[in-house]
Amino acid sequence: MTPYRTTTTSPVLAGIGLTKSYGLTRALAGVDVSVSAGESLAVMGPSGSGKSTLLHCLAGIERPDEGQVVLAGERVDQLGEPERSELRRTRFGFVFQSGQLLPELPADENVALPLMLGGLPRRQAVAKAREWFAPLGLAGKEDRRPGQLSGGQEQRVAIARALVGGPQVIFADEPTGALDQSTGMEVIGLLVEITRSQGAALVVVTHDANVAAYCDRTVRVRDGRLSEAGRTYARAAVGDATAHAAEAAGLAVWRAAGHPSGDADARYDR
Amino acid sequence: MRALRPMRALDRTTWTLTWRLTRAGGRTGLLATGLSVAAAAISTALLLVCVAANLGFQQRADRIDWRNPVRSGAPVAVEAVGTTFSGGTPVTVVDVAQLPGKKAPALPGMPRFPKPGETWVSPALADLLHRLPADRHPVPGTPAGTLGREALAHPGELVAVVGHKPTAAAVTAPRDPRRPDDTVTPTRVADFTGRPLQYGIGGFYVTLAKIATILVVIPLLVLGASSARLSVSRRDQRLAALRLIGATPGRIAGMTAAEAAFTGAAGALLGAVGYALLLPAVAQVPVAGGSWYVADLWVGLPVLLAVLAAVVAMVVVSALAGLRQVVVGPLGVARRSQAPRMHVLRALVFVAVIVGYAWFTDNKKDEVNAILVFFAVVFLALSVIGPWVVGILGRVVSARAATPATLLAGRRMLDDPKSAWRTVSGLALAGFVAGFFAPFGVVGSSSWGSPDTLAVAVPKSQVTAVQHEARERLKDARVTATVGSDTGRVAVVGGEDSVQVTVTVPGDTENLDRARTALTSLVPGQYPVTGTDVDWSGKMFTEDFSTATRVVLGVTFVIAIASAGITAASSVLDRRRTYGLLRLAGTPLRILDEARRKETLIPVAVLAGGAVLTGLFAAAPLTVLAGGSSSLDLGGIALLAACFGLGVAGLLAASALSRPLLKSVTASSGPRGE
Repeated sequence: MTPYRTTTTSPVLAGIGLTKSYGLTRALAGVDVSVSAGESLAVMGPSGSGKSTLLHCLAGIERPDEGQVVLAGERVDQLGEPERSELRRTRFGFVFQSGQLLPELPADENVALPLMLGGLPRRQAVAKAREWFAPLGLAGKEDRRPGQLSGGQEQRVAIARALVGGPQVIFADEPTGALDQSTGMEVIGLLVEITRSQGAALVVVTHDANVAAYCDRTVRVRDGRLSEAGRTYARAAVGDATAHAAEAAGLAVWRAAGHPSGDADARYDR
Repeated sequence: MRALRPMRALDRTTWTLTWRLTRAGGRTGLLATGLSVAAAAISTALLLVCVAANLGFQQRADRIDWRNPVRSGAPVAVEAVGTTFSGGTPVTVVDVAQLPGKKAPALPGMPRFPKPGETWVSPALADLLHRLPADRHPVPGTPAGTLGREALAHPGELVAVVGHKPTAAAVTAPRDPRRPDDTVTPTRVADFTGRPLQYGIGGFYVTLAKIATILVVIPLLVLGASSARLSVSRRDQRLAALRLIGATPGRIAGMTAAEAAFTGAAGALLGAVGYALLLPAVAQVPVAGGSWYVADLWVGLPVLLAVLAAVVAMVVVSALAGLRQVVVGPLGVARRSQAPRMHVLRALVFVAVIVGYAWFTDNKKDEVNAILVFFAVVFLALSVIGPWVVGILGRVVSARAATPATLLAGRRMLDDPKSAWRTVSGLALAGFVAGFFAPFGVVGSSSWGSPDTLAVAVPKSQVTAVQHEARERLKDARVTATVGSDTGRVAVVGGEDSVQVTVTVPGDTENLDRARTALTSLVPGQYPVTGTDVDWSGKMFTEDFSTATRVVLGVTFVIAIASAGITAASSVLDRRRTYGLLRLAGTPLRILDEARRKETLIPVAVLAGGAVLTGLFAAAPLTVLAGGSSSLDLGGIALLAACFGLGVAGLLAASALSRPLLKSVTASSGPRGE
């Protein structure tokens, strides 16, 4: 069984010779990395290795000192902050560890926000946002506010928000960092699967090998360099029972779209 | 197993940790601490000035009791009081005489009782006499001595004490009974203690000072509270981290209280120093006829300490109230599962207070202090209904919002009405103050006579003789004037028989004063007065009132805008993580800023309007109490419009000031919002 395939199409996003220093500290020392549409890439490395800086540079949060970032054949590293901000809003999606949802907005409005920022009228934006709830196992949770959701549900709302605008690349920074192991695996399984189904590329920064195992490819960053690039991990090679169980749960949620009773997070419902 | 000792909330560890955290707070920390200290300092200084004004007016009033003599069955002296004028400024002349065979005590501010023919004058009057030529002296003769401050309301007061024989006309002729605040008919007294003036403006000033204090103190409480919350917002993450490593809620509360006490005490001390340094300048502000003795505005050590303690307590309580969220859970800010609904009871309480106030002021008109307390309650009731109104507004705005910024603003108002109210409460309270003052017209200007016509009252039979004498005196003094008579009521003596002899002096006040000096003692017991003179106290009160209005309005608006700015900053700090992540995900700063602006402006527009109306309503009974009449005229409407415009502009400016902070917290936020 090979539920995940490695794509071979041309890269949608590429970082070429990326260099970035903070004062005397060199965070990136000439990194080449790329990710293709529908592909998932895990970026691993110890703390301070430069993996977050790599994500910053790829996502247009920071500009590299040297090197290029190319999105769909276009250089984007030289854009000004307003253009990069626009880029992040329209062509990228973000899933962070936690706290990214506005606590005062109900889940559907949190998801609809990027669409409204893009100029879509509220009614249409919310209607479009709601379409994501059933596939993500969140049916019936549209009106809940983040405080009324479990950690896993909150991350799934964040995934919906990242995807709702039809981005080309999703950046996920430790997306399971605030979740327990089983919920975390469920969320990463869902994220990988749904991103691929949308034909978007996924870049996951993680220090968790179990999370990386869900991705098509893993690169390791150490001292600002890629120490191991392009290696493809077959999921089966990990052989972690927990990961398998969680993945199964994630897929179950994904497949049982619109059936929240099968939701592993139902116990958190309040 | 050793029994666990309960962790003491304010032990040495707490203080040490607090001190280290305060020192290690970085630039933002320093800014927040600085703002808290500044807010406490401003609150303390203003509170002390308010208390000083209250005590000062009381001391001024107490010191002039001796000019309101109490008739005695065993008299030793006669005392009469009259008021003449020099250059339009009132000069109080106290005529006294020792009764035959009696030993009268010394008068206040004098070492002994004055001998007949002796004149003692206040230092300011001595100066004036020195400067003026003799033909314009408001009191005759050369001063025998100078009155001490025990006899005077303020350093610039013009007062003369003139000694007479007990048979002299000055201490036997009756005076105009219609001017109880500046004229007293000869009264036989046993001493010069006197009693507080029942009539006149003394009481109005004291009431006015109390109202002003209420209007300033409540926005000050808001300012103190918002600055204390700012400290907590800044530190919630570190406190939450301490919770994670096992600090008890008691320890956290202790640390917060300790830091608040630090900043509160530092601010209070600075404020006290500021007050002390300001004293000489404040003492120069002329109110009720003149500037102040610095000593009158010194509140004394016990009151000073009480105010300092109150400010520190207020800061500590506000900080602890803001802390609740951190103490709830070690993972930081507690997750709210439901939007807190503002209970309709808040609206009912407000209505009950308003109705109660209306009834009370209608039925208990004489209980001034009780009315003032009730007035303060109305003011406070705004803070009860405020969050409820914000909640309703939030519901309406969220339902109708079409743009992301409006939606964010509406949801935020609905989600945490109390917090949204905090940002605008200062301005709503200032709106109340503006509404309160707008209709405050003071019954003032007199239409009794021309300002260049002096009048003395005489019985009808003596008109010709007095006119003749007046012409002679004016001729000697080389003053050109027209002497006549009419039945006007600027001066009155006796009953219906009274006619006034008028002296019209064209030209400047110097000529008028020359005529005044020439005509003094023309009619025993009377100083020639113009229609304007008679109304001097009303005119002075009108001027002072408008000064007080401007000062109180200015102070409340400045406080309001300062608290709005501080609250806006702490709101940014509270939400820095979410803002940072939204910004990373490409939300334009402009949208976040617009949402913040709308979150403030929408409630302000509604609440300030409501507060203005409440102020208008609350003003009506107090206006009458403080000697005015209540009606909203064009001037009042203009005042309201100006206040509203300036308030909104100030609020926008305060909000704009926290924009760099928003920019910096969103820029410095890593993808994990750290």
